[in-house]
Formats: sequence, structure tokens, C-alpha cells
Amino acid sequence: MNLESLIPWLVILPLAGFALTALIGRRLDRQAFWIPVLAILVVWVIAMGLVYEVLTGSAPLLPGSETTHGYEVHLFTWIPAGDFVVEVGFVIDALTACLLIVVTTIGLLVHVYSIGYMSHDPGYWRFFAYMNLFMFSMLLLVLASDFLVLFVAWELVGLCSYLLIGFWYRKRSAALAAKKAFIVNRVGDVGFALGIMLIFVSLGTLDIREVIHEAGTLEPTTVLVIALLIFAGAMGKSAQFPLHVWLPDAMEGPTPVSALIHAATMVNAGVYLVARTNPIFAYAESALVVVAAIGIFTAILAASIAMTQTDIKRVLAYSTLSQLGYMFAAFGVGAWTAAIFHLMTHGFFKGLLFLGSGSVIHAVHEEQDMRNMGGLSNKIPITYVTMLIGSLAIAGIPPLAGFFSKDEILGESLKLGFVWVWAIGFIVAGLTAFYMFRLMGLTFWGAFRGPKEIWDKVHESAPVMTIPLILLAIPSVLLGMYLGLPLGASRISEWLAPVFEEGEAILHGGAEEPAYALFGIDGVLIIASVTIATLGLVIAWRLFGVTIGPLRMPERPERVRELTARAPFFYRASLNKWWFDDLYHLLFMVIGGKIAAAIWWFDREVIDGTVNAVGGVTIDAGRGLRQIQTGRVQNYALGIAIGFIVMAASYLLLARG
Amino acid sequence: MSDSLDAYLVLAGILFAIGSFGFLARRNAISMLMSIELMLNAVNLSIVAFGAFIPGLGAQGSVIALMVMAVAAAEATVGLAIVIAIYRNKRTPLVDEYDSMRQ
Amino acid sequence: MVRRLIPIVLGLAILGVVAGIAAAMIVFLGQDWGDALFWIFAAIMLGSGLLVVTMRDIIRCGLAMIVCFGALAGIYVILGAPLIAAAQVIVYIGAISVLILFAIMLTQTKDAPSRLVFQTQAIPAAIASVVIAVVLALAIAATDWSEAAQRVRVATDAMSQLLFDQFVLPFEIVSVLLLAAVIGGVFLAKREPGGPS
Repeated sequence: MNLESLIPWLVILPLAGFALTALIGRRLDRQAFWIPVLAILVVWVIAMGLVYEVLTGSAPLLPGSETTHGYEVHLFTWIPAGDFVVEVGFVIDALTACLLIVVTTIGLLVHVYSIGYMSHDPGYWRFFAYMNLFMFSMLLLVLASDFLVLFVAWELVGLCSYLLIGFWYRKRSAALAAKKAFIVNRVGDVGFALGIMLIFVSLGTLDIREVIHEAGTLEPTTVLVIALLIFAGAMGKSAQFPLHVWLPDAMEGPTPVSALIHAATMVNAGVYLVARTNPIFAYAESALVVVAAIGIFTAILAASIAMTQTDIKRVLAYSTLSQLGYMFAAFGVGAWTAAIFHLMTHGFFKGLLFLGSGSVIHAVHEEQDMRNMGGLSNKIPITYVTMLIGSLAIAGIPPLAGFFSKDEILGESLKLGFVWVWAIGFIVAGLTAFYMFRLMGLTFWGAFRGPKEIWDKVHESAPVMTIPLILLAIPSVLLGMYLGLPLGASRISEWLAPVFEEGEAILHGGAEEPAYALFGIDGVLIIASVTIATLGLVIAWRLFGVTIGPLRMPERPERVRELTARAPFFYRASLNKWWFDDLYHLLFMVIGGKIAAAIWWFDREVIDGTVNAVGGVTIDAGRGLRQIQTGRVQNYALGIAIGFIVMAASYLLLARG
Repeated sequence: MSDSLDAYLVLAGILFAIGSFGFLARRNAISMLMSIELMLNAVNLSIVAFGAFIPGLGAQGSVIALMVMAVAAAEATVGLAIVIAIYRNKRTPLVDEYDSMRQ
Repeated sequence: MVRRLIPIVLGLAILGVVAGIAAAMIVFLGQDWGDALFWIFAAIMLGSGLLVVTMRDIIRCGLAMIVCFGALAGIYVILGAPLIAAAQVIVYIGAISVLILFAIMLTQTKDAPSRLVFQTQAIPAAIASVVIAVVLALAIAATDWSEAAQRVRVATDAMSQLLFDQFVLPFEIVSVLLLAAVIGGVFLAKREPGGPS
């Protein structure tokens, strides 16, 4: 069977799943999950087949390239308007393949998990309908061959995010969070849209591969502006500073939503976009520096906030922000393969962590505050072990997945000369380990701090929820080794070489990469990253306790209080998210509100006043002129007489002199 | 003085002005009709004067004047009938009161 | 008794003045009878016209109008159109004035003397009338009429020749018009059937 012909089904199936579930889901009620889950299952099978063919080179060469294997499918011409032609088609190259792995696998596992997690919710069918719509949008995004189609999918993904964050729409905080997410996203989307328009104006085409090949013909300033505008879109979607404020609030949505959209797929859309357009960025080096700066700043900002958050999902949300910052920092320094590598590993272990936290929340009966948890390790063992694996992975402990990808990012940034990126990233690695094991300590170790009746009812989740956890734990352990070895010439760099070779040639001018020196600088870096991660981990253990087999340390809340008392400013700043939400509220709601009120006053009084005045003048003039109509013939006759006099006199004077 | 056309015409003009004053200034409807008769007579006078002095007109001036007189009679008839009909309705001959077309 | 006599005395005095001026014209200025008669008739006409528009009592206005029409008939005679003069007396004085007097009597109200005579717009009306007169006079003076020096007397048979030969159509139409006016007048002024007027 020709897999290429099955490519359109990748988007048709989720769309059909959405439509069917939306139409008949309400009647199917508890059975509403069959259609959407099966749809995603089939999509996963097809996607894995395609990925295998593309990455192992069995796929044909893409037209116009000698090194890139992949598939190109043309569906139909959407807008044939003279010079402006938009074709809807799909391109699957190695980059898309890597994204497909993450999107479809985690999508499938989250769908299965949701069968159990959302089973008590009255909006069961609506949830699955939205999830399928989201899968459709995300797949369309990574498969699109045209910027306009990508932008449509971009917006659709944002829409699904809005629908799913505000899934419990009767809850005011959820509705507000959905609105916030959509609006902040929109700010970024404006930049992206402007970038697309600029691309069309300068190059006359919106086909992605054509644009990338022709990017070299543009003027430097144009390329810089396009790159920055595209990055603005990525900033909105991937929640980089200053558009990061929506992601923590997005935790109002159900946990599977957080796992799928805000950990593994939608937020990766930004990284995908900049990776896809890497030659454009390669032509504009200052844009790359901007990307790196914003990325690494977001990383440390988010990590600092995560250290004091008490809601289990918020910690994970800020952790996501921080890791996304890592990806953009990697992209900015030129370590593009490392960025995608981290994207893939992060998708798996963050998805695992979110689903695990959902399981924890389920176990303690919808409690999300970690201060009311503790000592759950024996009661929910599967969740505990998988979350432990996930935490080790994200902390960067070898040989789990996070170590390989994070170390590659840090290593590349130092070797490519960005010492400040390396330094900040180094600190963030330590902070990451610290806050993750703070989370583990507060949740799983020590004594339970909640009410007793909940403790008695704590139970492990159903297999439909724990099996996805186990399935996600496997790549969290193995994926790093699979993709990252052998060191220096990793499998993933081989896969992604054709995608990035053009950009790298522009950026580095074909300079030879130094060989991987395991016993030189690279080895030192490995030891340094592992050391800082372990340091963070141990500090967390000492403060929040640990009970892993023979390893026991008690939790010491008094020591925690002592330490926070010593740095009150940082503690409060971190707890208040560095007051960014308050700043935005002041700027846009208060000041913006006043400006809007002033403009409204102007519109009401001046503009409407002018229009009303015209009407008023007409009415008053009419009222005045009405006095002439007395209804009496003699008054009219006087008017006739006066008219006659005027005419005769003027004739006499003017005509006869 | 009686041989100059201008004198007759000026006389007609003054009579016309008097008639127009009466028409514009009197309150009684019958007075207005009387003033209209004065104005018509002034016009008649001017026509007859033209008939007497202009060489080509001759008897035609008189014929026209006769026609005018007949029309004036008809108009006076109908006008007075209207005034009587209105008087029956409104009980007053004063034109101030006839303002039902007032805006 | 004395109050009733005042207007009569005043009227006689004015007539006397007019006659005196006429006499002076003939005797001292050497103008012929045509001019003097013109002057007398013109004076009477204008005077009674003024009385028509300014007197309070409408009956007296109607009577002054009769006097005005009479003087106008005299002027017609001077102009050499005796048939018109005769028609003026018969139609205007004999028919229209009587009709007007009848209408006055039909529309009289009880509080006749105490009403205002003039409208509120009397003064602007007066000014307008004066200006009309002035404008007309100026227009008349400024026009070259290319008239003959003497007035021409119109023979009656010449006029009737015209009337029934060249102007027979207007003549017939005017008779139809008069018929229509009579019917209209009767219809408009008719009393409502079965109700008081």
C-alpha cells in the first residue's frame, strides 16, 4: 500500500472525528470516546508508517532537493487570484516527521487517558470533539506547505486552546483564562500575520519551501523584520516573555488539555515555526540573538517563579515555560538540532508529568494545592514511579532523556560562543532540578498534610489512565539514548541534517564543526551539567524530604521558612510571578481603560455630537421656519407683494438703469 | 393733464396700491373682497387708457376691459359665496380666524 | 346730534376744496374742461378708495366703494369709452356692489363696532403699498409708450363689431364662465338641508 496516498487522512480523520462527535456525541454519552480515539489511533498508525519511511530514507527525494527525503502531496488550489496563489498541500520532511512522532503519540495517549480522567464530566463528548479538532489543527499546522494554510491552522490551534481551557465555561476563572490565552496569543499572531504579508509583498509567494529558497534575495533589513515578526508569532504561541502570562492561567483547563496542548504540542508550534523557517533566521543574525536572549530570559524567569508555586499544575506550567525558553535559546545560538531534540524529549516527559499530576489530583479528590498533599508514594505507586522517572528526566540526570537534550543545548551554546546563554542555562538546570524535586517531596514524600477522610480514599487510578503513564515513561528513559547517541554524531542530527543544512551553511559559511571531544571540553560540560542538576536535586531533598528505598531524608519545613525569610524580596517576587500580571493589568486594563474611556468620550461627544447637531440644527431650523406658515392668507399675500416689489424694483434698477 | 397717458396710468397705479393696502391690512373678509374689486378696477382703467391712447389698439382695449369686468363679476360672486359658507362654519368674518392650515 | 354732523361737514368741505381747485384750474391756469373734470373725478375716486380701505364700518366702506366706481365711470367717459362707463355703472354699481352689501348683511355679527379694523401687519402693508405705488409710477415714467397725443374716442358700433366678430369666442366663454360662477355661488352659499344656517 502506498503510504503517500494516506497522507490526507492524517487531517481528514481528526476532522471527521470532530464533526461526528459534535453531531452525535451527546447521544452517545459515555461511549462518545470511541470515534475520536479510534480516529487518532488510525492517524497514529499512518503517521508512524510515514515517519519510518521518511527518516530511514525509503521515501523519495523531495523535488528540488538532493538530500531531503520526504513526501509532498498537493491537495487543491485554495486561492487562485492572479498573482496571489495559495495551494493547500502537505510536506513531510524530517522536521515534520519528528513533530509527527511527538504530536500523534502524545495525542493518542492523552486521548486514551481522557477516557478515564473525564469520565465523570457531563461534557464528555464535547471534550473529545474539541480534542479531535485540536489534533486536526495541529496536524494541519505541521504538515502545511503554505504559510497561509499554516496561519489558518495556527489560529485554529489557538481557538481550540481557547475552547479547551475554557472547557468548564461556567467557572469564571476558567473563562477568563481562556480569554486571556486567546488575546495574548492574538498579539503574537498579529506579528505573524504582518510577517506573512511582508513575505508575500517581498517575494510574491507563500509556499514555504519556495520562500526559504528565495530568502537570500531579500534585503537584510527586510529579512530581519520578517524574522522578528515570525518570532513574534512564535512568542505568542510558545509563551515567551513578554507574552508568557497566558500559560500558567491556562492550567484552569482539564489536565489532559494541559498535557497535550500546553506541554507537548501547541506550545511547540512556535519552535516548529522558527525551525521550519531557519534559513530566514540564518540571514538575520541579530534576530537570532534576540531569539536567544528572550528564550534564555524566559527560562530563568519561569524557573524562578516555579520555585515558590503551590499548585502542582502551576509548577509544571512554569517548568514548561522554562524548557520552551531553553528551546528558543538553543535555536538562537544556532543549535537547531538540539532545539528539536529537546522539543521531542520534553514533549514526552512533560506530557508524562502532567498526566501524572492529573492522576495525583484525581487521587486526592481534585485537590491541586501541594501543601495539602504528601506521603502519597505508597498509595499511588504507578503514578509515583512514573512521575519520579519524569522528574529525573526533566532534571537532566543521565541516562534519561532530558540529560541528552539539555546537555546538547548547553554544550552547543558554549561552543558556539554564547557564554552568557550557557551560564544562565546552567543556573536554570539547577533550578529545574530543585523545583521538580520540591514538587516530588511535597507530593509524594513525608507526611500527608490533608484531611483524614481524603487520605482514606486515596486510590490509584484506573488502568486506562496508568497505562499511558507507563507508556510515556518508556521514551522518557530511552528516547534520549536512542536519539542522542552516538555522542557527537547523534542519530537525530543525521535525521535533521537535510532540514538545517541550508540554514547552517548560511550561518556558518560552511566552517567545519570541531570534532566531539568527550575527554575535552564536552566531557567537562557533561560533568558540569550533571553536577549542578544533582546539586539542585540534593538541596531539594534536604529541604523537602525524600524516601526512595534506603535513601531517606526528612522534610524540614522550618528550614524552608528560614531560607525564605532570608530573601523576602525574591520570595515575594517569585510568588507574585514577578508582578507581570499586575503590570499588564495596570498598563492595559487601567491605563488602557482610561484611554479607551477618553476615546469613547470623544466618540460620544464630538463625533456623535456633530452628527446629532446636524440633526438638531435641522429640527431647530424647521421649527423656526414653521413660524412663517401662519395659515392666514393675508400674511402670504404680504409676502407676494414684497416679492413683487423686489422683482419690479430690481428690474427697474438693474435693467433700465 | 387729461391728454397724457402717464397720468391715467399713475392714477391706476395709485388706485391699485390703495386696493392692495386694503387687501393686506383689513381684517374682515368682505373688506378684502372689496379691495380686490378696487384692484381689478385699477387694472381695467389702465386697459381702457391704453385703448384710448395707443394707436393700434382702438376698440380692442374696450373689449378686453369688458371681458375683465365680466370675469370680475364672476369672481366676486364665487368669492362672496365662499365667504358666506365659511361664515356659516366659523361664525366670524374675520380672516385671522381662518388659520386651520397653520403649521 | 353734533357728532353725526361732523363727517358730513368734513365731506362737504373736502368736496368744496376739490371744486375750488378745479375752478382755479380752469380760470387761472387756462386748462380746458377735460382736465378739470379729470382732476375732480380722480380726486373723488382716490378719496373714496381711501375711505373704502380705512373706514371702520363695513356698510360705509361699501357705500364709499359705490362712489369710487361712479367716479371711475366718469373717467371712462373722459377717456372716450362710453360703453365701458355704462357697463361699469350697470355691472359694478348695480350688481357687484349690491351683492357685496347683501353679503355684508349676511355675515354681520353683534359686536360690530368694537373690533379692530386693521391687522397686525397693517404697517408693513402700508409701507408695501406705498412702495408698490412708487415702483409703478417709476416704471410708468420710465417707459416709452409711443402713444398718440390725443385720446381717441371709441365708437360703440366699432366695439360691438369687434365683440361679435373677432372676439366672439372669448365672449361665449365668458358667458359660460358666468354660468359656472352662478351655479357655483348658489351651491356654495346654499343652506344645509334640514338644518339652520
